[in-house]
Amino acid sequence: MSATTRELADRRTRYLPTIILILGAIYCLIPVAWVFIASTKAPNELFNSFTLQPGTGLLENLSELFSYRGGAYGLWALNSLLYAGVGALLSTVVSAAAGYALARYTFLGGRIFLIALLAGLLIPGITLAVPQYLLLSDLGLAGTQLSVLLPSILNPFGIYLCYIYARGAIPEELLESARIDGAGEWRIFSRIALPLMLPAMATVFLLQFVGIWNNFLLPYIMLSDTNTFPLTVGLYSLLSRGSGSPALYSLAIIGAAVAIIPLILLVLTLQRFWRLDLITGGVKG
Amino acid sequence: MRTHRLVAATIVAALGVSLAGCSAGDTADGEPVTIQFWAWAPGMDVAVEQFNSTHPDIQVEYTDAGGGNDSSAKLITAVRAGNAPDAALIEYTALPRMIIAGVAEDMTEYVGDVQDAFTEGTWQQTTFDGKVYGVPQDVGPMAFVYRDDIFSKYGLDAPATWDDFRSAAETLKVEDPDATIASLSTDAWGWYAAVAATLGEDWWSVEDNVWTVNIDGEGSQRVLSFFNDMYNDGLIAADPILNPSYNSKLNDGTMLSWPSAAWAPGVIYGVAPDTAGNWELSPFPVWDEGDTETSYQGGSGVSLISGSEHPEQTAEFIKWLNASDEGVDLLLNESNLYPAAISGQESAISQDPPKLMPQQTDYYQVVADISKNTRAVTWGPNTDVAQSAFTDAMNAAVQNGTPWVDVLTATQKAVYEDMKKQGFEVREG
Amino acid sequence: MVLFLAFTVIPVGYTLGSSFFAMRLTGEGVLGGIRTSVFVGLENYIAVFQNSEMLAGLGRLAIYGIIAVPLTIGLALLFALLLDSPGVRLKRFGRTAIFVPYAVPGVVAALLWGFMYLPETSPFSYITRAIGLGSIPFLEPEGLYGALANISIWAGVGFNMLVIYTSLRSIPGELLEAARLDGASEVQIALRVKVPLVLPALILTGIFGLIGALQLYGEPLTLKPMTNSISETWAPLMSIYRDAFVLDNLPEAAAASNVLAIGTVLLSLTVLFVVRRINARAAR
Repeated sequence: MSATTRELADRRTRYLPTIILILGAIYCLIPVAWVFIASTKAPNELFNSFTLQPGTGLLENLSELFSYRGGAYGLWALNSLLYAGVGALLSTVVSAAAGYALARYTFLGGRIFLIALLAGLLIPGITLAVPQYLLLSDLGLAGTQLSVLLPSILNPFGIYLCYIYARGAIPEELLESARIDGAGEWRIFSRIALPLMLPAMATVFLLQFVGIWNNFLLPYIMLSDTNTFPLTVGLYSLLSRGSGSPALYSLAIIGAAVAIIPLILLVLTLQRFWRLDLITGGVKG
Repeated sequence: MRTHRLVAATIVAALGVSLAGCSAGDTADGEPVTIQFWAWAPGMDVAVEQFNSTHPDIQVEYTDAGGGNDSSAKLITAVRAGNAPDAALIEYTALPRMIIAGVAEDMTEYVGDVQDAFTEGTWQQTTFDGKVYGVPQDVGPMAFVYRDDIFSKYGLDAPATWDDFRSAAETLKVEDPDATIASLSTDAWGWYAAVAATLGEDWWSVEDNVWTVNIDGEGSQRVLSFFNDMYNDGLIAADPILNPSYNSKLNDGTMLSWPSAAWAPGVIYGVAPDTAGNWELSPFPVWDEGDTETSYQGGSGVSLISGSEHPEQTAEFIKWLNASDEGVDLLLNESNLYPAAISGQESAISQDPPKLMPQQTDYYQVVADISKNTRAVTWGPNTDVAQSAFTDAMNAAVQNGTPWVDVLTATQKAVYEDMKKQGFEVREG
Repeated sequence: MVLFLAFTVIPVGYTLGSSFFAMRLTGEGVLGGIRTSVFVGLENYIAVFQNSEMLAGLGRLAIYGIIAVPLTIGLALLFALLLDSPGVRLKRFGRTAIFVPYAVPGVVAALLWGFMYLPETSPFSYITRAIGLGSIPFLEPEGLYGALANISIWAGVGFNMLVIYTSLRSIPGELLEAARLDGASEVQIALRVKVPLVLPALILTGIFGLIGALQLYGEPLTLKPMTNSISETWAPLMSIYRDAFVLDNLPEAAAASNVLAIGTVLLSLTVLFVVRRINARAAR
C-alpha cells in the first residue's frame, strides 16, 4: 500500500499557514489571558500598573467576590446553572418531540408551522422580550425564576435541527415495522426515535446551554431582584450602579474570570459530541 | 388579554408547573401585613430587619432592585405589569416622571406629621403643587472635592468662586501639565442643571398644572459658555468619569478635583483607596462673590407605589426609615448615606470623617453648613428626554468643536416638544 | 406548538397591536394628568421613519454589519481551511484556542475588549506609545466601527469556523485525492474544490451573522460608559430599549422593532435569493 497524497503532503510542515493559524489563536486568547492576569490585581493596582503585569491581589479579590452582598456571586452562578441546565434540558426534550412530530407526521398546519418557525429565528429578541414580559406578568410570574426558564424552553433552531435530523436518521421502515408489531406511537417515539436522535439532542442541548448561559437581554428585562440574577446580568450590575456609585471593575473582572472557566472547560470537553454538520445539512434541504 | 390568560394558563398547566399564589395581600385580622420594598443602597437589608423586629404587625420584604436608570425603568414596567412593590426608592430627578406615569402615589394624608423633620428645601424635592409624593431619604449637597496635597504644593486654596477655579486650573496647567483639574462628562446634564439652579435658573417649573421649560436661560448659558471656554483653553476635560481611564487618573494623581456632592468621597475611595489622606472637601464654588446658595446633586426619596393594598402601613414604614431617629441612624451608619432628615445631619456631625479624608476632622461640619444653604431643584416629567438630548448634543459639540450653548437650545427644543406631544400644557421660558 | 404560540405568536401579535397605540396625557392630574393608552393608528410608524436618530442608527448598523459579517465569515473560512490543510501544525491547539471566545458571554467580551481599547489600560496602545506613535484611537469616532466589529468577529469566528470545518470534513476524500493527482496545489484545491462545496455552510453562517449584526445591543451598551462616541441611540436596539423601558413609550418601540424585524426577514430572504440565482447560473 502506498501512502495517499494527503499523507505525503502532511509530512512536510508548511510554515506560513501554521503561522497564520497561531496568530489567529493568539488573537483569540489575548483578552482571555488579560482577564486572568487582571483578576490577580488588587483594586489599586488595576489602574496603576502595566496592563499585562500580574498583581498581588488574587486571593483578596476572590474572597471579596464571594463575600460581596452576602455571597450574591455564588447565587448568580447557581442561577445561571439552573437556567442553563434545566432550560437546556427541557428545551432539548421539547425540540426533539416537536422535530420528530414535524418530520414524521403530516398534519394540518405543519408546513405553516415550519415556515413560522424559520421566521421566528429572524425576529429580534427584544421584540419578543417586551410582550413576553407582559404576558408572564399576567400570570404573576414576571420577576420569578420561571420567567427566565419558560421562554428559554422554546428554541426554534433546536426544533429545526431535530426536524432535519429526524427526517434523515430515522428509517421509515423501522417505524413501519414497529407499528406492525403493535407498538403505540409514544412507545415508538421513546424507544426507537429518541435513541436514534441522541446525537442531534446532544448538539441542541449544548447550543442551548451555552446560549442561555450567555443570554443577557431576557433575564435583564424579566428580573428585578438581584438574588435571581444569572451571572451575565449580575456582572453587568457591578458595572452599572447608578449615579454616584463607581463601577466595581475589579469585582467584575474577577467575576468574569471565574465565570468563564467552567464554560470553557465544558465547551472544550464536549466539543466532540457536537454534530455541527447538522447545521449545514439544514440549508441544503 | 383574556385569551392571553387562557393560553398562558394552558401552557403552564401543560408543563405541570404549579403556580404559587400571586399577591401577598393578607387582610385577615391579626395577621401581620406584608409589604414589598425596592431599593438599592447597601445595608438597606439591615434597616429592614430592624424594622421587622420592632414592628410585628408589619413585615417588610426587601428587594435589591439595583440603582441607576434601569431601576426606574423596571419600576414603570412592574406597575404596568401589575407586580409592583408597595414602596420604592426613587431618585429626585425621576420622581415627576414617575408621578405622571402613575407609579408614585399621592401620600400627603399620611406624612404630614414628619414634615418638620426636614428642611423646607429638602421637603420640596418630593412635593409638587402642595402634594407629597415621597419622603426624602438622602440628599447630595453640592461640594468641591479636591487633592489638597497637590493644590497646597502649588500654593492654591480651595476655589471659593468659579473664577478662582479657573485661575487654579491655569496655575496647575503650567506647574503640572500632565494633570487635569476636573473632567465634566458629556452626560452630566443633571450636574449642569443643578449648577444653573445656583444662578436661579429652573430648567422646569410648574404652577397650576402649567409647565415652563427654561433650559436655555441666561444663567444656564453663562454656565455652559464658562466651561466651554475652559475646555477650549485646555483647562478642563470633557471625558467620561469613573470609567477605567478616569479611575487610573484618580490613582496616579493626574485628576485633581471633582466638583460634585457630599457622596463623592465614598466613590473616590472605592476607586483609589491609596490616595486617602490627600483629599479634602470644601464648599461648592459660587458664581459671584458673596453668593452662598448652592444646590443638590443626586439623592432620592421613598415613595408609595400605586396599587399598594396597604398604603397606611407602607407609609408607616417609609416614615420610620427616613424620618425616625432610629431609621435615620441606620441610613447613616449602615448605608453610608447623607440623610435628608435634619436629625440625621446633626448626628452626622459627631461622626468620623470619611476614609478618603481622615485628616479633615471638620468634614461633616462643612457638609452641614453647606446643607443649610441649599436650593431645591424642580425636575420635570421628562428628565429622561433631557438626558438623552443633552448627552447626544454635548457629545457632538465636543467632537465637532461647536459652541456648548447650542446644546441648551437643542435640549430645550427636545424637552419642550416632547412635553407638548405628550399633551402637557407647557410654555417656553 | 403551544409553547411556540405562547412565546412567539402571541408576543408578535401583541407587539403589532400595541404599535398602533400611544401614551398620552389624559384627565386632570397634579402635574397635568396621567398617561394612558390612546389609539393613534400608524402615527408610531410615521414617527419611526421620521426619527432621524433611528435612521442614523440603521445607517451606523449597516456600516458595522458590512465590516463585521464578511470578516467574521472570511476569517472563519480561512481558519477552517487551514485546519483542513495538510502540513499545518498545532491544529488541535489552534482549533481549541480560536473556539474559546464562544464560551465568553457578550457582555464580558465587551468589557474585556473595552479594557484592551482604553488608552490607559490597552496593551496595544502601550506598545504604539513606546515606539512613539501615540495611542490607537479605538474608541474615537474614527476607530469605533472597527472596535465594535472586532468584538463580534472575535466572539463569532470560532463557532463559524467549526461549522465550516465540519462541513469541509464531509467532502469525500477521493475528490481531493483526484485533484492532488492532477497536480493542483493546496491553495488551488482550497479555492476551486473546497470552497464551492461548503457554500451552503457559508450562506448559513452568513445569514446568522447578519441577523446577529442587526441585533447589536450589549456590546455598545457596555462600551458606552468608556467613551463619548457612543450615543444613547447608537444602535437601533438601544433606541428601542430606551423607548420601551426608560421613556415609557412602549408603542413606538413596538413599531420600531416591527420595522427592524421585517427588515431582517427581507434582508435574509434577499441574500438567499441572490445566492440561489448565482448558484443556478453557476450550475448552468
